[in-house]
Amino acid sequence: MPRPLPRLRHVLALPIPNLQRTQFPRLRPAPFSQRFATTTNTTTTTASPAASSFLPATPDNSFQKTAKAQRKARKDAHEEKDQGKSGGDGVLWNGISGHAGRWEVVCGLEIHAQLNTGRKLFSDAKTSLNETPNSHVGLFDAALPGSQPIFQPQTLLPALRAAIALNCEIMPESRFDRKHYFYWDQPGGYQITQFYHPLAKDGYIKLFPTDGIELGEGVEEMVVGIKQVQMEQDTAKTITTPSLDPMTTPSTHLIDLNRVSHPLIEVITTPCLPSSTHASLALRKLQSLLRASNAAIVGMEWGGLRCDVNVSVRPRGSTTLGQRCEIKNLFSIKVVEEAVEAEARRQVSVLENGGVVVGETRGWDGELGKTFRLRGKEGEVDYRYMPEPDVPPVRVGRGVVEWLRREMPELPDDMLGRLAREVKAGGKYGLTLKDANTLMAWDGGARVGYFEEVVAKVRRHLEVAGEEEEVIKDAGRVVGNWVIHELPANLTSANLTWTQNPVTTTHLADIISHLLLGKISGRTSKSLLPYIITTSVSSSSSQSTIDIPTYITENSLLLLPLSSSDLINLIKKVINEFGDMYTQYRSKKLGGLRNWFVGKVVREGEGRVDARRVERVVGGVLDGEGKAE
Amino acid sequence: MPVVRGVERCLAGIRTHNGFLNAFTNLRPAETLLKEAAEANQRILSNQPLSRIDGKIIAVKDNICTDDVPTTCASEFLREYRSPFQATAVTRLNTSGAIVVGKTNMDEFGMGSHSIYSTFGMVKRPPPAGQEDAPFRSAGGSSGGSAAAVAAELCDGALGTDTGGSVRLPAAYCGIYGLKPSYGMVSRWGVIAYSNSLDTVGVLARDRKGVEDIFNAISGYDAMDPTSLSDTTRDRIKEAIARRRGQNKSPLRIGIPLEYNLAELTSPILATWKHTLTQLSRLGHPIVPISLPMTKHALSTYYILAASEASSNLSKFDGLRFGTRSPLDWDPETQTLFAPTRKSYFGDEVRRRILLGTYSLSAEAMGNYFVKAQRVRRVIRGEFDAVFGLQNMLYNKAAEEAEDAEEEQEAAGKVDVLITPTSLSMSPRLKDVLAQRSPLDSYVNDVLTVPASLAGIPAMSVPVGVGEKVGMQLLAQFGDEEALFEIAKALEGL
Repeated sequence: MPRPLPRLRHVLALPIPNLQRTQFPRLRPAPFSQRFATTTNTTTTTASPAASSFLPATPDNSFQKTAKAQRKARKDAHEEKDQGKSGGDGVLWNGISGHAGRWEVVCGLEIHAQLNTGRKLFSDAKTSLNETPNSHVGLFDAALPGSQPIFQPQTLLPALRAAIALNCEIMPESRFDRKHYFYWDQPGGYQITQFYHPLAKDGYIKLFPTDGIELGEGVEEMVVGIKQVQMEQDTAKTITTPSLDPMTTPSTHLIDLNRVSHPLIEVITTPCLPSSTHASLALRKLQSLLRASNAAIVGMEWGGLRCDVNVSVRPRGSTTLGQRCEIKNLFSIKVVEEAVEAEARRQVSVLENGGVVVGETRGWDGELGKTFRLRGKEGEVDYRYMPEPDVPPVRVGRGVVEWLRREMPELPDDMLGRLAREVKAGGKYGLTLKDANTLMAWDGGARVGYFEEVVAKVRRHLEVAGEEEEVIKDAGRVVGNWVIHELPANLTSANLTWTQNPVTTTHLADIISHLLLGKISGRTSKSLLPYIITTSVSSSSSQSTIDIPTYITENSLLLLPLSSSDLINLIKKVINEFGDMYTQYRSKKLGGLRNWFVGKVVREGEGRVDARRVERVVGGVLDGEGKAE
Repeated sequence: MPVVRGVERCLAGIRTHNGFLNAFTNLRPAETLLKEAAEANQRILSNQPLSRIDGKIIAVKDNICTDDVPTTCASEFLREYRSPFQATAVTRLNTSGAIVVGKTNMDEFGMGSHSIYSTFGMVKRPPPAGQEDAPFRSAGGSSGGSAAAVAAELCDGALGTDTGGSVRLPAAYCGIYGLKPSYGMVSRWGVIAYSNSLDTVGVLARDRKGVEDIFNAISGYDAMDPTSLSDTTRDRIKEAIARRRGQNKSPLRIGIPLEYNLAELTSPILATWKHTLTQLSRLGHPIVPISLPMTKHALSTYYILAASEASSNLSKFDGLRFGTRSPLDWDPETQTLFAPTRKSYFGDEVRRRILLGTYSLSAEAMGNYFVKAQRVRRVIRGEFDAVFGLQNMLYNKAAEEAEDAEEEQEAAGKVDVLITPTSLSMSPRLKDVLAQRSPLDSYVNDVLTVPASLAGIPAMSVPVGVGEKVGMQLLAQFGDEEALFEIAKALEGL
C-alpha cells in the first residue's frame, strides 16, 4: 500500500469551544426592565389570564407592541451598503418642518403583510383570525421534535400577486433561510424567511398627485423603489398580563399559536422617501395595492400589516445618506407619520448640538410622541442566517406568472384612470377626481361595480331610445352624482348601510334613464328613491317586486310632452312676464339673452319640454314670427 | 409459536443483560409484544406474512418518534417526552409485521461516537464469548444501543440514525452489519433532527440479509418528508443501474481510495483491509486504486455543517411546549428566559456542538466556516461522482440519455463500489475513551465515515475476519444500495 500518509492532527481545523472558558450565551429576548420601558402609564389589564386568552391582541396593547419591538431586528449589514449606494438619485421635496432650509430626511419602509390564503406556510393547518386559541396548529407549527416543514404551494399565489402589483421581477428560483433568535412567540427558535434568495426583486410603485402627493412643476409622478418581496412565517400571538413587580415576579404571557406560520410577505422599499408625508403616502399606496391585488386582506388596524421605518437625516444637498435609525413596529399610517417626524427632529437636534447620530433600533412611544432607544449596535442580534435544509427551492414557472398577470384584479391606479376624467383623457366615466376617489374609497371599492353596472344599464336604455352620443357619454357623470350623493343621502336618512341598500342597479338605472329621456321630472325622480327604500324596509318584500316603469305609469308620473301650441303659449307667457328682458333682447339681439329665455321656458315647463326643443322654437317667437316647430 | 418464543427469548435476554449493556432506554409492554407476536405467528403459519420481516423483533433508536413509549434522544430534556405522532419508518415497520421491542440508548441527540453521552448512562459493547471479564469496551456511537442490542441478540435487527457514521461505527465496533442508506431513501418524518442535510435512518443486523430486508421495508417515498426521494427519481436510478450492469457484465469493479490509508490505521484494520481486497480480487472483482483528494477536508467540513445545523435545530428546545422546563426558567437575577432550562438539561457534548455551530453561523465566522464548508461539501460529492461508473442521478438529469460511446468507454473503467475500513481501530476501551482530554480525540473516529455522509451516498459497514470481526466500509453511488448488498454477499463467510 502506498505511503506517505496524511496525519489527522494536521487536517483538523475546528474552532472547538472550551466549555470551561466559554461563558454560556445568554439566550434571552431582552431584560424585562427594557421590554416594558413604555408601559409605566398603561393601566393593568383586569382580565384574568384565562379570559384574556380569548381576546384578540389589540394593536394598542403597548406591552405587546414594545415586546415585539424588542425582538424584531435591526437592518442587516448588506442593506446598509445598498442604502449608501442608492441614496444619491432621490429627488427631495419637503424638508423637516422648522429645518426646511438646512436638513432633509430620507426614509425607507419595511412592511409585513399577512397573505390572503387559507393555509399556513409549512403545514396544512388553516389560517385564522379570531378562532379559539391554539386550535389551528400543525405539528410543525408547534415545532414538535421530528416534524418537518411542508411548503404549501398555494400560499405562493397571493405573494406572487403582490410581487406583480409592485412591479417586481419574479425570481425563477427562490429559497428559504432560517433567521435565528429566541423568543416565546417563535416555537422553532428561528423564523423561516427568504434572506439570500427572495421571491421577487427590483420593483417600484408610483405616487401620483391623485394619491395626495405634491410634486414639483412639470413632475407627474414619484417612483418609490421596491428592493425586494420575500415570503416568511408569522409568529405566535402573545396576550400579556403584566407583573405588578417585574423585579420579583414575571409577567404572564399567554401564547396563541394559531398565528404561527401564517404566511407573510415582507416588502422593503429603497430609502428614497424625503418626508414623513411621503412615508405615509407610500405606505397607504402599498396597502391599497396589496389589498387590490388580493394579496393581503386585512389592514393595519387588525395587525395584518406591520411597518418598520428607517430614518436618516443629512444636510440639504448632500448626496450621501446620514446614519439611519430603525423604528420598529408601527401599527398605523398616522403613527408612521408621527414617528418619522419625531425621529427626524431628534436626529437634527443631535446633529445641530454637535452630536453624532448612532445607528440603533428604536421604538415609538405614542403617549410622549417620541421615539426611544430599544437597542444599539452592541445589543444587535446576530440572526445567523442559514439556508433551510428541509425546504426545497421554490421554482416559479413563467406560465404561472403570465396567468396571474392576466387574472390580476384591477389595481387602484388603473381604476382611477377609468373612472376619473382628469387622470386619463377620454376616461370612460368622466367623474371628477374627487368623486372617483370617493367612489373607490367607500366600502373597499364595492360601490365601483355597482356604479359601473348602473351606467351600463342606463346607456343601454338611452341607446334603445336613440339618444344622442353626447347624452349617452354623459350618463357616467349623472350616474356618479346619484351613486355618490343622492343614494347615500337617502340611505343615511333611512339609517341603512351600503350592504343593506335595497335599491338595485335596475331600479336606479330605470330612474336615471327615465329622467334623462325626459319622461319624468327631476322632482319625481328624486321622490322615487325614498319610495323604494321605505317600501322594501316596511314590507320587507323582496326588492324585485318593485318595478319602476310600472310604478311610474300606474301613478301617472310620466310627463306629457307639450303640444306645439302649448309650447308657444308658454314662451309667450314668459315674454309677458319678463317684459324688460324682452325689450332688451329686441334692441340688442344678444344670444346670451336668448339662452336666458330658453332656460326660463324649460323651468316653467317643469320638465315637460326639453331645452333643445325650446331652442328650436324660441327664436321665432322672440323675433315675432310666432312660428311653431 | 416460534415468533412468541422469539419475543420471550429477547425479553429474557434483555432482563439478563440490559443492566450491564444499557442498550435500551424504554421497552414496550411485554403483553403488547406477546400479543403482536401471536398475531405475526398466525400470519406466518397461515402462509400470509405481511413482508419478509413479519414477526422479526426490531429495536428503534431513541431519537425516532414512537407514539406509545417515550422518545428521549437520551437527553435529560426529553426524558419524559411522548411524541403525539410516530415516525414513518416505525409505521412502515408496523405495517410490515415487525415487532418493535423498545427504544435504544444513544449519544444525546446523536452527538458522539461512543454512546457515552447519555442521560441513561453509557452503553457497553457486548463482550465476545470468553472475554466476559475483559475491560469494558465502546459500543461505538451514536447508535450504540441499537448495535449492542443486535450484537447481544436482544433483537433481530435495529433502526439507528447515521449523520456522520453513527450507524456504521457502532456496527464496526460491535461486529455486525450497519447500513447508512442514500440521503432521502428512508423518510425522516418523526426522526428528531440533528443535522437535517446529513441525517439518515440506518439499519443494523447480524447478517446481510437482515439489513436488506429491513431496509426494503422502510425505504420508500413519504410526502411528509420534504427531502424524501420521489418515486420517479427512484425509478430513474433503478433504470440507470440496470443500464450500467447491462453494459458491464463483469463482476463489480472495486475502488480503493488512497487517501483513506491513514497513518493512524491500526494493524488489525490494515490487515483486514488487505485481506478483503485480496479475497474480492480472487472472486474476479477488478481492484482499482483511485484518489479522492478532498477527503482530508471532510472531517472539518462535517463538524462545521453538522454543528451549524444542530445549533439551529436544537433552538426549539426551550422547555415551553414540550420537554423538561427548569424551575429557574426565568432567572430573576439576570432576567433571562430559556437559558436556565437549556443550561440545565443539555449535556456537555451537545452544548459544545451548539456553541461550535452558533459560532460557525455568526456574521463574523459565516464566510470562513459555514460557506466554505458548503463549498467543500459540493467538491467532495463531485469527487465521488467522478470515480463511480454510475451517474449521480440527483445531479445529472440531463446527461442521462446523452451518453456517447466515448463516455461509455470511460464509465466502463470507473468503479462500482469503494472499500475502506469503517474505523481507525478496533473498539477502544471505555476507560481510554473517558480519559481523552480533547473532544477532537473522539471526532477523529469519524474520519472514514463522514465523506459518504457529506456526499449523501450509501455506505455499509460489513464485519470481516475470523475471530474478532473488523468493520469494512463499502461505499457506492447515490441510490446504488444494490451494489453494497452484492459485495456484502460476496464477503459473507470471509
